[in-house]
Amino acid sequence: MILQCSYQKGEDNMQLQKMMTYNLRTDFITEIIQMVSGLLLFLFLWVHMLFVSSIWRGAGAFNVLANFMDRWGLLPFTIMFLIIVFALHIGTVLRRMPSQYLEHKVVWKHAKLIHHADTWSWVFQSITGTAIIILAMIHIAIVSFAGINAHLSALRVQSREFLIFYIVLLLLSEYHASVGLYRVFAKWGFVNRHSMKRILNFISLFMIFIGAITLGILYTLGA
Amino acid sequence: MEESGMTLFVVLNKIREEQDPTLRFDFVCRASICGSCGILVNGRPTLACRTLTKDLPDLTTLLPLPVFKLLGDLSIDTGIWFREMSIHTESWVHNDEKFDLTAQEERMDNEIALMIYEAERCIECGCCIGGCMMTNLKPNFIGAAGINRVARFMMDPRDKRSNQKYFEVIGNKEGVFGCIGLLACDDNCPVAVPLRGQITYVRRKMASVGWKMK
Ligand code: SF4
Ligand code: SF4
Ligand code: FES
Repeated sequence: MILQCSYQKGEDNMQLQKMMTYNLRTDFITEIIQMVSGLLLFLFLWVHMLFVSSIWRGAGAFNVLANFMDRWGLLPFTIMFLIIVFALHIGTVLRRMPSQYLEHKVVWKHAKLIHHADTWSWVFQSITGTAIIILAMIHIAIVSFAGINAHLSALRVQSREFLIFYIVLLLLSEYHASVGLYRVFAKWGFVNRHSMKRILNFISLFMIFIGAITLGILYTLGA
Repeated sequence: MEESGMTLFVVLNKIREEQDPTLRFDFVCRASICGSCGILVNGRPTLACRTLTKDLPDLTTLLPLPVFKLLGDLSIDTGIWFREMSIHTESWVHNDEKFDLTAQEERMDNEIALMIYEAERCIECGCCIGGCMMTNLKPNFIGAAGINRVARFMMDPRDKRSNQKYFEVIGNKEGVFGCIGLLACDDNCPVAVPLRGQITYVRRKMASVGWKMK
């Protein structure tokens, strides 16, 4: 049985080290971790948006939530959760991304050549994902050092750089999450993928709308 | 020189006759049956013999399908790839029962027979392979045609392979867990094999096997 496992297409030579480290389930488990961590991040994005949009009901409501999180030590907990889930997601999706320069060129050439929407969305998914790693790290670092309250947030978006930063982060994460969830359905079935795409587009636009209003309110509060 | 109902097959022959006698391209059946004429038409993998010139823009680029061995111009050898894939996936009915020449053939459910037929409609043109990002990146990935092939045997009650055996062949990144779900295969298959359905079928089946495995 082991002998057969080590045989892969176009690769007839037996490689002892490869055989001894071979685990039949590795690729399956990575796939599952990638999906579950992605879904958790998607959920987090929603809850996060829900919490932040408490500003719609005034700085008071926002601060009540922030204090609540503070009192129960939820902030460090959330940050730990995020770091772990992020790490798992990044670790498992990295294997999909082109790692060498040559592979990058293949991806671009291929995407440009075959004119296929879902192939392009995968390329953008990789790019937005990479950008989100950096932006989200900055965002998390700021929040964990400065803490959360309406006054701070309102002041922050007064600076043009920060405002742009948040708008970009909002757009990128909504795009990435939407395409990611679509991909899960594309891979596992269960729903018609074209209607799923439409539903997800609608949801993302809705979330972007909520996020934009939230930023707008914070901006006016700070002014 | 445009004639109604003219296909790329006719165009390529005209070019060979009138302009370049060395031009290489493949055709056999001219009717979407043999699968030898897969090419990229303006980047999209499809069969040249079913592409009508009246549907094409004024400027059209033709390229050979990637991934396969290039023989020259538009001519590729899909045979090598499909043979390797067949060997790798052990594309035959695995059954140790002694064959009784005189016995009546076992009956099969009509529904299962139809499902198997859907998979068997694949004409091995290679369009799903040439258009897939993953097969272009990872030469060991068996692509939609390969996954479809395994699905065919999984559905077949005469094939006595265990789920574990299937998992060893296709429950990995060279198989169904290497697919990233872009579905260019499903969008481009010229004979509309339900590739997305086949991939999800195999993926779910392998996931449940992997889940229960110790
Ligand atoms: S599945 Fe479709 S696209 Fe792929 S080789 Fe078969 S006929 Fe061609
Ligand atoms: S879904 Fe995408 S990655 Fe998977 S086999 Fe089809 S084209 Fe390739
Ligand atoms: S020539 Fe046979 S499929 Fe096109």
